[in-house]
Amino acid sequence: MVNNPYYIHLLIMVGMNAVLAMTFLLLLRTGLITIAIAGFWGVGAYASALLSVKLGLWVWLALPTSAFISAIVGLVIGLLLIKKGGIGFVMLTLVFGFIVVLVFGTFEAFGGYTGIYDIPPPEAIRLPFFGLVEFTSKTPFYYLMLFLVSLVVLVFNAFYASWTGRAWRAIGQGPRLAESLGVSIFQYRLLAFVIAAAAAGLMGSFFAHYYGSIVPATFGPQKTIYVHVYAILGGIEYAFTGPLVGSLVMIVAPELLRIAKEVEPIFTGLLVILLVMFLPDGLLGLIGHSRPSGPAENLSRVARWVKEAFTRGKSASQG
Amino acid sequence: MGTILEVDNVGKHFGGLAAISRLNLAVSEGEILGLIGPNGAGKTTLFNVISGYFPPSAGRILFQGRDVTGMQAHEIVRLGITRTFQASALFMKISVLENVFTGFHLSYATSRWKRLLRSRSARSEEAQLKREALSILEFMGLGPLSGEAAANLPHGHQRILGISMALATHPKLLLLDEPMTGMNPVETENMISLVRQIRDRGITVMLVEHDMKAVMNLCDRVVVLNYGQKIAEGLPREIRENRVVIEAYLGKQGAK
Amino acid sequence: MSMAVVAQLFVDGLAMGLVYVLLASGFNLIVDISGVLFIAYGQFYMIGAYTLYVLMVMLKLPFFVSLAVATIVSALLGGAIYRLVFHRIRAMDRQFLNGIVAAVGLMLLIGQAVLLAFGTASRGVGTAFKGMLKLGGVNLSVEKLVLIALGVAVLLFLHVILQKTNVGRAMRAVSFNPDVSELQGINSNRVYLLAMAIGCGLAGFSGGIMAPIFAVYPEMGAIALLILLVVMLGGIGSMTGAILAGLILGATLSFGQYFFGSGLAQILFFAVVGVILFVRPGGLLGEDTEIQI
Repeated sequence: MVNNPYYIHLLIMVGMNAVLAMTFLLLLRTGLITIAIAGFWGVGAYASALLSVKLGLWVWLALPTSAFISAIVGLVIGLLLIKKGGIGFVMLTLVFGFIVVLVFGTFEAFGGYTGIYDIPPPEAIRLPFFGLVEFTSKTPFYYLMLFLVSLVVLVFNAFYASWTGRAWRAIGQGPRLAESLGVSIFQYRLLAFVIAAAAAGLMGSFFAHYYGSIVPATFGPQKTIYVHVYAILGGIEYAFTGPLVGSLVMIVAPELLRIAKEVEPIFTGLLVILLVMFLPDGLLGLIGHSRPSGPAENLSRVARWVKEAFTRGKSASQG
Repeated sequence: MGTILEVDNVGKHFGGLAAISRLNLAVSEGEILGLIGPNGAGKTTLFNVISGYFPPSAGRILFQGRDVTGMQAHEIVRLGITRTFQASALFMKISVLENVFTGFHLSYATSRWKRLLRSRSARSEEAQLKREALSILEFMGLGPLSGEAAANLPHGHQRILGISMALATHPKLLLLDEPMTGMNPVETENMISLVRQIRDRGITVMLVEHDMKAVMNLCDRVVVLNYGQKIAEGLPREIRENRVVIEAYLGKQGAK
Repeated sequence: MSMAVVAQLFVDGLAMGLVYVLLASGFNLIVDISGVLFIAYGQFYMIGAYTLYVLMVMLKLPFFVSLAVATIVSALLGGAIYRLVFHRIRAMDRQFLNGIVAAVGLMLLIGQAVLLAFGTASRGVGTAFKGMLKLGGVNLSVEKLVLIALGVAVLLFLHVILQKTNVGRAMRAVSFNPDVSELQGINSNRVYLLAMAIGCGLAGFSGGIMAPIFAVYPEMGAIALLILLVVMLGGIGSMTGAILAGLILGATLSFGQYFFGSGLAQILFFAVVGVILFVRPGGLLGEDTEIQI
């Protein structure tokens, strides 16, 4: 199973969607619900595609540059939208989500509705111990995604554990109170928005070079809603393990259970409905928590829970 | 002692309704000023304007001689005015200590990047601020409860926690919005003593309160509002006997 | 640009706009009263269309009968789904977010079920009302005129229900203040269910009247997010707002498509919506609110 390229592909998808879900939770923490995630994902993808296809830029440079471009777009959009707050913000991010797809699809500069193709994979690199790594199979992409996910988790966690993270939480739980203690709601939310845009853009860039071709329709608001589902099903209290578990279950479960392609969305749909009805706190709500804990601790809790479930199952079948 | 806050001809209206109009008052440094008046008199509106929650429709606010009219709430906190809220405004899910810690937002000396990377200086500063948070809590009598979740505290302690958080912002002027609401006589006595101690630390206090006994006991001066305007100002005993004030509270028949 | 063209565009815009108005009104009912951000709403639009297809093309039933059945099927299904799924979710702390998740699940479920049953090809229903009407030198299709007439009739009917009947009053009370309504003896659970049923019924009806004009295809459900935007443009809780916003969409698309082509027309629409929401975040006739997570 481990060497099966299809499973590797699934894991790559899990990683990417998990990061997108993490950006949703980042903004949720500050009290904002965003429907712009797929939009920034698209900005990163198109930026990277255009940089490498039209300008011939090295993919390894295109990756961080696209994340940066996405961050700039996030800054501009954030400056406009964050002041609105509440419902206005949500709806305006939805508008942004629609406009991004339309712009990419309408103007030939972006390739129109047929999109951009022949996007080059990352150039071969020489790594210590591994030698020359060429991006001709899925495996190197998997390790790249692993690296990017770890990077995002490290950066996000650094922010969460710092004063900025405290300020974000304060803003999310009591904006007026936070403001009365001198915290600038606008500045901190803007920071979160830009970071989220950068991370989503980075994922978009990866996506472009992994798939080799992109079409505008992929990056619509519908996708953002799916990302929301991954995050919520995982458990919104868990900034990193939640998205990972949520994406894992939704993307891999149908495969593990060998659900036929035609029936797959029906299965997933049912699964989603049942999960949300019977696990209102998300999947990770099962392991429960009494105090906030970091990703490492959460992961070990999940591992312990899974192990216990297995031993219980084993002894039940033996006893 | 100079004037720390000047309310200069301030008015605020919402739609057609004037919540406060042509309000003039001055707060002296180091005093405890009481703001009283019947419900709807505009006391909280005045607090909201001073603390920057919304700008006034007319007039100016001067803090330590500087025009702060229309500044945003978080900027005004930076300058030295902090307010508390009527209802318990706390971060319920985190501990008492963490709540106070939120107030230290402005005190960080280490740069943002060092803090992000959790360098040694950032960590030692954080430890020092934790100590300071504990000392504030002890000062306010909440020391032993520092690890409790804020939601678990009884009402009286929650109000005190709210004030502790405000103290963490190192205010020069503290606006207390009905600090004694819902407190029994013992708690009220405690609060009075706490406010005095806060003033003794060099913080000017302005408070809105309905508990007349407490106001008379605690405040150096009292300002009375009714229908958005100042109707009286003076020492507590003067206010107690002021005809206009009594009428405002009790209606014309009630005045003896 | 001749009068004929303008009239044509106007009628087209009105027809499209009315459908959006119907959809927006139904969605408004569900979001405002039942309190569910029902992303799966588009699927009921699709169910209505496919039901009409099955009844008219496969069973050869007359148009009005098929339309009625399509509406009723959608309404019943909507009510059942409320009772089975959303009734339970309402009781949760995170009902807003969890409701969205459930709606997405439903969207996947229903979408794929229809796809499996009917395949990916779009299907034509054939015109129910043939012929054109000549009004003052302008050619207008009878079909579109019937659609407009039906749409207006249903909207008026809805208006009467909401304003004059007990049920409608109960709904408006619950929308305005759910807690107080309970105290006044209104069974809010029944109201939520009814609102959902009526809302889904409206969606099914819209699908039914659209089917003869446009083809019936599985991706019809994607309209849900657009309708959400329309409702927000009008302002949640405001029926008049939904009407206004729906007509604006219809008009912009109709005229915009003629002058600028489909892509730019849509961009224009969203840009206009963006500006309006920027200036008035609560929508044209609504108020801005913070969302409870």
